[in-house]
Amino acid sequence: MMEKILVIGLDCATPQLLFEQFAPDLPNLRALWQKGTKAKMLSTIPPITVPAWTSMMTSKDPGQLGFYGFRNRAGYDYENLYFANARYVKEKTVWNYLNRNRMPALCFGIPQTYPPKPINGIMVGCFLTPDKNADFTYPSELKAELDQAADGDYIIDIKDFRTDKKDRLLEQIYVMTERRFKAFRHFYKKDEWPFAMMVEMGIDRIHHGFWRYFDRGHRLFEPGNKYENAIRDYYIFVDRKIGELLNELDGKTSVMVVSDHGAKRMEGAICVNEWLAKMGWLKLKDHPQNQTKFKMEMVDWEHTRAWSEGGYYARVFCNVQGREPQGRIPPSDYEKFRDELKAALEAITDESGHNIGTLVFKPQDIYKQVKNIPPDLIVHFGNLDWRSAGSVGTGKIHIYENDTGPDDANHAQEAIFIWNVDPARLKQKKELISIYDIAPTILQFLGIDPPEDMIGKSLLK
Amino acid sequence: MKGFTLWFTGLSGSGKSTLAHRIEEILLERGMKVEVLDGDVVRQNLSKGLGFSKEDRDINIRRIGWVCHILTRNQVVAIAAAISPYKAVRDENRRLIGRFVEVYCKASIDALKKRDPKGLYEKALRGELKNFTGVDDPYEPPEHPEIVVETDKESIDESVNKIIRTLELMGYIPAGESSEDYSAEEEEKIKKRLKDLGYI
Repeated sequence: MMEKILVIGLDCATPQLLFEQFAPDLPNLRALWQKGTKAKMLSTIPPITVPAWTSMMTSKDPGQLGFYGFRNRAGYDYENLYFANARYVKEKTVWNYLNRNRMPALCFGIPQTYPPKPINGIMVGCFLTPDKNADFTYPSELKAELDQAADGDYIIDIKDFRTDKKDRLLEQIYVMTERRFKAFRHFYKKDEWPFAMMVEMGIDRIHHGFWRYFDRGHRLFEPGNKYENAIRDYYIFVDRKIGELLNELDGKTSVMVVSDHGAKRMEGAICVNEWLAKMGWLKLKDHPQNQTKFKMEMVDWEHTRAWSEGGYYARVFCNVQGREPQGRIPPSDYEKFRDELKAALEAITDESGHNIGTLVFKPQDIYKQVKNIPPDLIVHFGNLDWRSAGSVGTGKIHIYENDTGPDDANHAQEAIFIWNVDPARLKQKKELISIYDIAPTILQFLGIDPPEDMIGKSLLK
Repeated sequence: MKGFTLWFTGLSGSGKSTLAHRIEEILLERGMKVEVLDGDVVRQNLSKGLGFSKEDRDINIRRIGWVCHILTRNQVVAIAAAISPYKAVRDENRRLIGRFVEVYCKASIDALKKRDPKGLYEKALRGELKNFTGVDDPYEPPEHPEIVVETDKESIDESVNKIIRTLELMGYIPAGESSEDYSAEEEEKIKKRLKDLGYI
């Protein structure tokens, strides 16, 4: 009998909520793991939507993929950054291998699938679609059907996420999810799909928008606030949507639920460029006195050895002679400098002087290959309890309001994995799996030998 | 997409089957309907019992051509990989099929003798294999093939890319990815959204 698998991706769904705190209220998800298995899943370094989903679908690490986040350096000059969308994915995905074996695939909103490439099946592009005027589906004529199927305007992603109008934000997230599940169900029912996968972004959006209202440990938490249950209620809603989808299944379809990374409370942000300046490694032509967005043209390159980009994690770049246009670090000192910088980053403390446990990675140490241009260092401040703020002129290293707007959650290394497979088919019951194990597992489940160059291992016997 | 026939011709060991299957994978990934007619396989079913006389070789190639023809007119990409040594029959197939792209797998006989993965050249040269194309049987190279791959000089990937690029340019297959990157305006939209979301 031909096996079929449905993969439901929940961007940012996090184990401590889904497996523990909210589990009693999530009957559909619970039933899946009670029949099969569940595990925490280690995400990529960095645990960010791009590259994490593509690493999951290719079983290749970010170095092998050649992109290290959303924005990547196209050259060693100071400006040239590009967005890693689907055009930059050169490695084979699960659906590429399935198509080769004459199995069609339904791919719905999987991050880094815009612009969509032709496939045997259906591809609905992800949130990297600029807007709905763009050709974000394959075949392209599907676009019209999508709105019909969604029973309203199909929402690719939340507009104007940075808002204080939380009611509106909440409503948008619900409508987006409702319509995505509806549209997906429509296309799922239209055909026989050995492999179908959808990714819902709503959980990520609600974590970032509402964490402070629900997390009693958050310094801004107010007991009894209006949104105290916003995240829990939304998880329950998603569980119900999953239940409706599962009702459509024929009973022969296996169901896997995955996320690309988890989420955790954000303590605050480390102003990385402000810190680099304080350490004497970054000099601005005219250091601003008020919080200002960091721009490359501010930098006095003659006197700068390192700079950084903000985000959920930091990417630190070195200004190396013969590499950057006005490089300062002699190539012979590069490793020494990188080690010095790494040690200094790891020593960063909170305001009371306690080390925050920052993790600093050299791309060459953690990836099998390092393609294109990686950051010189990848930094998880306080093991991602802290985000990275690029802004300068703050006059301090620690800030407690995100420099780009309100945000109270950061990404966490551990994602979720649920599969209602017969546990007897698994090699062993594992508490922790790797994001790289997903692609080979899906291929083996569908009867295809996982390619040897995939770095993960199939979970199946 | 409409069907077409991609016809690989060349000496034994010149890479026809390898390239045919690589192209098959890529076209399948792009959602096309594809079938490969590999000479070695066809001789075990459709052309079972045929030998290697000129007459038998011509019958074999006509049969493969006819199957390619009916596949092509049903919107399938038919990929033939057969030595097909005689120009006249290849051209006959070209006329029959219409949408026909000939790929000449060109490699010097010296390189093939050196490569000789199945040990066939060695046997033929020792006289243990008769009617072996390129040794004691003729091969008539195509005069105007759409694509020439020099498999003794190019890597497999280079040959594959050359074939795929040509098929894209000729409009036989859809581009593997859109050639346009974000416009400046689109890039601003994405940048704002990702910034709002806290990613960058």
